[in-house]
Amino acid sequence: MSQGESTVGAAPPDVTGSWLHSFEEDTGTTEVYRPSAYRFRPARRVRGGLEFRPDGTFVERRPGPDDRLYEVQGRWAAQGAGRIGVTFPQGRAAPYEITVVSRTQDMLAITR
Amino acid sequence: MTQSANFPAPARDICGTMLVHRRLLNDSMTYRAQRARIENRALQYETGRRSAVRNEVLTIPVVVHVVHNPAHPEQNVGDAQVHSQIDVLNRDFRAANADVSQVPEVWRPLVADARIEFALATRDPLGNPTEGITRIETDRDGFDTSDTVKAAETGGADPWPSDQFLNLWVCQLQGGLLGYAQFPGGPPQTDGVVILHTAFGTTGCAASPFDGGRTATHEIGHWLDLLHIWGDDDGACSNDDRVGDTPNQASSNTGKPAFPHVTCDNGPNGDMFMNYMDYVDDEAMFMFTRGQSERMDACLEGARASFVVAHQVGTAKAPAAAPAAEAPSEAAAPAAPSVPPQAPAAAPAPAAPAAAPAAAATGGNGHAAHDSEVERLLREVLSEVQDALGIVTGDGR
Repeated sequence: MSQGESTVGAAPPDVTGSWLHSFEEDTGTTEVYRPSAYRFRPARRVRGGLEFRPDGTFVERRPGPDDRLYEVQGRWAAQGAGRIGVTFPQGRAAPYEITVVSRTQDMLAITR
Repeated sequence: MTQSANFPAPARDICGTMLVHRRLLNDSMTYRAQRARIENRALQYETGRRSAVRNEVLTIPVVVHVVHNPAHPEQNVGDAQVHSQIDVLNRDFRAANADVSQVPEVWRPLVADARIEFALATRDPLGNPTEGITRIETDRDGFDTSDTVKAAETGGADPWPSDQFLNLWVCQLQGGLLGYAQFPGGPPQTDGVVILHTAFGTTGCAASPFDGGRTATHEIGHWLDLLHIWGDDDGACSNDDRVGDTPNQASSNTGKPAFPHVTCDNGPNGDMFMNYMDYVDDEAMFMFTRGQSERMDACLEGARASFVVAHQVGTAKAPAAAPAAEAPSEAAAPAAPSVPPQAPAAAPAPAAPAAAPAAAATGGNGHAAHDSEVERLLREVLSEVQDALGIVTGDGR
């Protein structure tokens, strides 16, 4: 588990924290996330989640067939210009890139 | 790797993480093997090689654990709200719900009475009289899907024996979640269904558009082994819900869709979004199909057989006499002649591959393919074991 990516380059957009998908607020190109503790409106569609930990651990929470969230652990690293690279060293998922569109106290908007 | 009581514990200390890893591996192996067996049985019911032994209505004892934070009194849902939920279940699983009349004409023949009813327990696990409702105070602000609500030590309520009671936890769920379930074959200590207090029942704090009690109908559908109607494949058309009479559809529907909604080339009728196993609003879902009812039967005569009052698992005769309430299912059975099946050897095997049942001693199961299926399952389980052994031994530290 000690993959030790370095976060060289521009200062990372501060995305650290645990976020849940506020899909009602999505636009055609952007996904909107709110902090996990946010008081979401109840919805039958299950909200997926992203968590960026300060130590570089990334946790994606995906809705499962029994309406629970299933965790897939990986690593995240800032790549400059608001971009974040996400990898899954254990091969549990394909790597991808996230672009941070905006980040406020209680909202994270991304494209991927 | 169980340790015999006859041998002393090894002197070398095995690190805790390794033990946890092994336990999880074993748990998940067991779970996967269980799921394979459950899925195999469901397939036999769907293809008509087995059919439900049960004709009568089965009543499942329910215990509702109301887990509430005293700072939020509305979480302590009242008895009337609990009863309103049980009433909804008893209508929905019997196709006795008033809105079943809204099922589109083309699908009316598929509407199923699942012959399942629910009753709050009248005896607790120790045999004492009970109302079937427990009330537990918690200091938690809310719960997620990690099962903390299902154990007293994590601020929730311990389940009653899950092979005798359907455990229903009602609480504040986080993230806007309405509820979640556990499929049959999982750990007994977390077996049951969790529902958000404002999506429970039809009265009290139940809030629109989830105040029709349908969250519990949907989640108990999972508990009885039903899958989401779109097949959980993220908008692809590659996977379905393993039920023949529900059209394949791309992804979940939400809100109150207009009929027809065509995806995955499933026109002209499109998605069966009014099915309880889609994601539409409470007032937009109002049916189970015959195929789903068969899948629930497979579960109740297999993994959840402990709930069947007088089960005769494995002694099913060749399916023929359709259950009183239903005509033969189009999905599974061919146009079966309505002849009573007295001549076992000569009776055409319904929908099954024409394997000659002649001398196959199948232990009274009445389906010739049984042996090869068992063999296949054994091979699957064996390869699981080999894989797991490879992981354990290849994990050397």
